[in-house]
Amino acid sequence: MTEANGAAGAPLAGGRVLPRVIKGKRSQFFDDPTMDQMMTFFMELMTEVMVLRDRQDTLERMLEEKGGISRAELRDLIPPPEVEAERAADRAAFVERVLRLHEPVGEPAPRHDA
Amino acid sequence: MATNTVPDIDSLLVPTHDEFARQRAVAAIHTHAMLRLRFDCRTAYERNVKPAFEREHGRAPETGAEIAEAIKGDPFYQFYSSIRYNAQEMGPLARQPAVERALPAMIEIAKSAAQSNAAGGSLRLDPDLVVPDYMTEYDVHLAAGSYHSEFVDDDVAQGVLLGRGLSPIAGKGRITKNRNFAGVGQSIAHWLKAKYPAFAPRRMLDMATQSGANLTAYPKAFPGLEAHGIDVAAPGLRYGHAKAEFEDVAIHFSQQDAAHTDFPDGHFDLVVSSFFLHEVPVPVTHQILKEAYRLLAPGGLLVFMELPPHKACDAFMNFAYDWDTEHNNEPFYRDYRSQDPTELVVAAGFPRDSALELTIPDITSFDMDRYPAFLKGEIEAPPHGRGGWFIFGARKPG
Repeated sequence: MTEANGAAGAPLAGGRVLPRVIKGKRSQFFDDPTMDQMMTFFMELMTEVMVLRDRQDTLERMLEEKGGISRAELRDLIPPPEVEAERAADRAAFVERVLRLHEPVGEPAPRHDA
Repeated sequence: MATNTVPDIDSLLVPTHDEFARQRAVAAIHTHAMLRLRFDCRTAYERNVKPAFEREHGRAPETGAEIAEAIKGDPFYQFYSSIRYNAQEMGPLARQPAVERALPAMIEIAKSAAQSNAAGGSLRLDPDLVVPDYMTEYDVHLAAGSYHSEFVDDDVAQGVLLGRGLSPIAGKGRITKNRNFAGVGQSIAHWLKAKYPAFAPRRMLDMATQSGANLTAYPKAFPGLEAHGIDVAAPGLRYGHAKAEFEDVAIHFSQQDAAHTDFPDGHFDLVVSSFFLHEVPVPVTHQILKEAYRLLAPGGLLVFMELPPHKACDAFMNFAYDWDTEHNNEPFYRDYRSQDPTELVVAAGFPRDSALELTIPDITSFDMDRYPAFLKGEIEAPPHGRGGWFIFGARKPG
């Protein structure tokens, strides 16, 4: 591999190897850049609340089914499709509630799903 | 499949409960921005921005670029843009940890697939290939590392990170995305067979194939077809090759720049691509289409799925599409869309009367009972990106 392809050429040690920062000029949408930064905080926090909601839902379901659960089991559990479908609807409703924008006023347009 | 010895490389991607939840949460926000806020933005524009522009200029905005300038200070636009931008950026970030955990094992599978070629495909990399500046100077689609970057030897990470998202939601629910971008190949192959029943391509090329998500449909639709896919980015080629070998589909992947390949003249009966030309400068678009013309055999077909051009959309839709130019690290997006696809193929050497431009149904979501009516022109396909795909192309005389 060559420099031209951006290869590190190093052996894989495992763990974090991919960059978390994007190359290129970051867009600024608000007059005050601190507002853009606050939006990033808010979106990350909103995401983490949804993760917690899923985790709580998983806990409730496991407790209902088993009465007892293990943390390792919880960590590795991927929901079956029917549970995921319920959560997808729950998430869409959550996003709609939290992102309650002031404009445009009136009833929101129907979602433009295909 | 019985003789296949290549393991399923995707089966190694196992997010934790919370990683999976995070991926789905980010997807829910992004979907909301794309399917609701992007269209509510038109309401905000009609009610607030357009009247103010008309008062100042005595006319409505006539182009997407004029709307983009006029709408900058509108609060709804600012929040929509900020939400969409952050959700776009957060997508790959939410997928990275699972990819990193699986990376050493995935690389081993890709290496062994490249040696065994059990399905009859191949992988040809060019370590000396210089990735074009327009790919390396910024991370396209706000995905850190973009398509081409390699961080370890024999790296597949960016291919998995940005290619796995193309797979439809299915099976064990790994790394997922809402829209089925991988339906393009199936949809074009289906349309080709219906539209040109006598067309029997022997060899085809997919330009900028990434990991071949939209290539494997063609050899499945046309048995015996020899399928080639090229891209400048090696991680996706390695990953795509391992996937194709596992799926028992023979695909020949090679690392090449579509503007100048090493294939002989007239080598292919079909040249396709998807989501490609809007990512390259317009002069390179011309080079790529000339190369496609050179590579096609007499009677061969060119079919590129692309963004609809400016001429096919109203000013607001042009503004909505071209947002990506400044805010999704796709700087050639607007310039590409300002071109006329028919003029592009004519400039590349194709006869004007062979040029085609149309929107075809996405067959993974379309009610196929209605397909005959679409073919007869009685009904239109759903809009591009929402159940339909815009395609253009031409036929080489022969």
